[in-house]
Amino acid sequence: MSMEDYDFLFKIVLIGNAGVGKTCLVRRFTQGLFPPGQGATIGVDFMIKTVEINGEKVKLQIWDTAGQERFRSITQSYYRSANALILTYDITCEESFRCLPEWLREIEQYASNKVITVLVGNKIDLAERREVSQQRAEEFSEAQDMYYLETSAKESDNVEKLFLDLACRLISEARQNTLVNNVSSPLPGEGKSISYLTCCNFN
Amino acid sequence: MADNLPSEFDVVVIGTGLPESIIAAACSRSGQRVLHVDSRSYYGGNWASFSFSGLLSWLKEHQENSDIVNECPPWQEKILENEEAIALSRKDKTIQHVEVFCYARYEKYLFTINYVHDFLFTCLQKKPAVRIYMALVATSLLDMLKIDLVTKLLYSRGLLIDLLIKSNVSRYAEFKNITRILAFREGRVEQVPCSRADVFNSKQLTMVEKRMLMKFLTFCMEYEEHPDEYKAYEEITFYEYLKTQKLTPNLQYFVLHSIAMTSETASSTIDGLRATKNFLHCLGRYGNTPFLFPLYGQGELPQCFCRMCAVFGGIYCLRHLVQCLVVDKESGKCKAVIDQFGQRIISKHFLVEDSYFSENTCSHVQYRQISRAVLITDRSVLKTDSDQQISILTVPAEEPGAFAVRVIELCSSTMTCMKGTYLVHLTCTSSKTAREDLEPVVQKLFTPYTEKEIENEEVEKPRLLWALYFNMRDSSDVSRNSYNDLPSNVYVCSGPDCALGNDNAVKQAEALFQQICPNEDFCPPPPNPEDIILDGDSLQPEASESSAIPEANSETPRESANLRNPEEPSE
Repeated sequence: MSMEDYDFLFKIVLIGNAGVGKTCLVRRFTQGLFPPGQGATIGVDFMIKTVEINGEKVKLQIWDTAGQERFRSITQSYYRSANALILTYDITCEESFRCLPEWLREIEQYASNKVITVLVGNKIDLAERREVSQQRAEEFSEAQDMYYLETSAKESDNVEKLFLDLACRLISEARQNTLVNNVSSPLPGEGKSISYLTCCNFN
Repeated sequence: MADNLPSEFDVVVIGTGLPESIIAAACSRSGQRVLHVDSRSYYGGNWASFSFSGLLSWLKEHQENSDIVNECPPWQEKILENEEAIALSRKDKTIQHVEVFCYARYEKYLFTINYVHDFLFTCLQKKPAVRIYMALVATSLLDMLKIDLVTKLLYSRGLLIDLLIKSNVSRYAEFKNITRILAFREGRVEQVPCSRADVFNSKQLTMVEKRMLMKFLTFCMEYEEHPDEYKAYEEITFYEYLKTQKLTPNLQYFVLHSIAMTSETASSTIDGLRATKNFLHCLGRYGNTPFLFPLYGQGELPQCFCRMCAVFGGIYCLRHLVQCLVVDKESGKCKAVIDQFGQRIISKHFLVEDSYFSENTCSHVQYRQISRAVLITDRSVLKTDSDQQISILTVPAEEPGAFAVRVIELCSSTMTCMKGTYLVHLTCTSSKTAREDLEPVVQKLFTPYTEKEIENEEVEKPRLLWALYFNMRDSSDVSRNSYNDLPSNVYVCSGPDCALGNDNAVKQAEALFQQICPNEDFCPPPPNPEDIILDGDSLQPEASESSAIPEANSETPRESANLRNPEEPSE
């Protein structure tokens, strides 16, 4: 736990129906790869990318669902301690859009109430097969008070923008929070991971 | 369901309790294709933690005794001539004697609980919209509650902590230290000094007692090296043995009940010394007491292992009922399961949690029971300057034949209850129903909330706002042979046991894993995600990604490599 090479660390969590391109977005952003290759996700818990924003190093830890969304069995602990959620649907798949309220319910139940949620319509490279209009998605995201963006992991459209904008918002949010809680008392419920707990001995 | 399950696996795991989840993770980590299912809509089975609304639906399920009849296509016709079936149970019968009491009606936080109660149980008919709105607000507020069905603590040098660190599953969870050990003596709750600093700072011990206690505890740390000091007492109980030592009755009580956490009759000298040593050994690793509690409750832990299993390709399916196991008559081995959709899923190994077996399979099994109570109170059993204490208290049994009651009091910083309230868990081995076993202790420690104004500000005892009692089946000590006719490749996992730690679950998981995957490493650390990503210039596509084309992206802000692991356990 010596000097870390970053100014901010944020946990970003992707959710949304299976097959909407969550893993592709992550891979495109972190590795510049498409398609990500099927076997590649095995054993990969989260991906890391460190970006620089206005001279500050921001480390993004990006978590994928590990396939648990396929049968609607995401563990609650997946949402815990996330700073931001990327709720993804496929613009060519009406069903993936219709499931959004269900996902929002999970978010409300399990994620921190300070979490920032971004709605992402992926696969704009397949515009000719579009089933969800931009206007509908905009209306929905406005009603839910979410930031909204359409992307193509395949063509790399808006992928950088998605994560970098999010990083900017997380930074300004983090700044505000430190201003509000300028008394450096730890927030209730701020637990420690095992490895961060200090060790000392009985004798 | 939009998606169909694959029809072939190496291991099918039924039930998402802690042992099953650890095994699923271990198997998946070793490259086995794992299907992990649970008939419930939540993870953890009897190891789960519930929000208030989650608890209410759980209560409903267990109070009404409703037989949920799922419309499933009959499986009988799917069984071939050379096959037999072992039907699985459709209903969980592990919870009994559920009783709920709501004491506070209009108090500031608890009136809300009552609204929810009314709202969900009697479906507030034609009440003003405002009230329904309030009930909904309350529901979201109360969803901060995380009510454990079983409350255990992690010994800071216990098997579970070791496994969490070794497997890196610890990254999915966060923990809090238990801040104090309490004792209940002569009607009073007091803090037990157990660390060196505690003993020296203690105001309740005399100078002489401090020296006595330190001397004895120092001996216990290395008792094995001094066999002559205890050999003569091996035949007697730890309680009798303590009397022979230079300890005042005060100290004997602390050591017996709060440090060794045993009773007058339960432990021999050796057991007591071992327990004391274990306690001391765990002390100080992470804090001033030997214990940790997972934030958001015990129910997080099975889920953490499930996440690891999924990361290595395990497939997860809640709300999924397995109707029967299919046994090949000739080999006597189980070869498949048939699920609620009539789909046949082939596998080599089948791991089934005890509660999924039907009465036919369990007709000869003798179960013990655990008595549980969950309380919401308005203040701590022992008030101090800080309102954020997490405490464990052992209340010895009063009459012979009864068992000591373990009390764990959680404050809001554990993320299991609202600020200004405490969540109190009582646990003991059952001799009667949960309420009969535990109510006497509840009455000693708490006073029911009444709506009358209390004149003097300082009430002696914390007030009881809400209480739940229930009995849970303890299948931990059941020999595999007591289940009828199980094929050799069907393994049984038990539900939670009554012990404070989680060692039993880990031991069980490791033993079963060794049967399924002999000679394989049990949950080795996964590759560090931070090692996988290199910086933009030296991007190395993984071998499996032959089709991947690294993209030169000029607009990318400067990236930096980070190969260090900040979460290396600093032992």
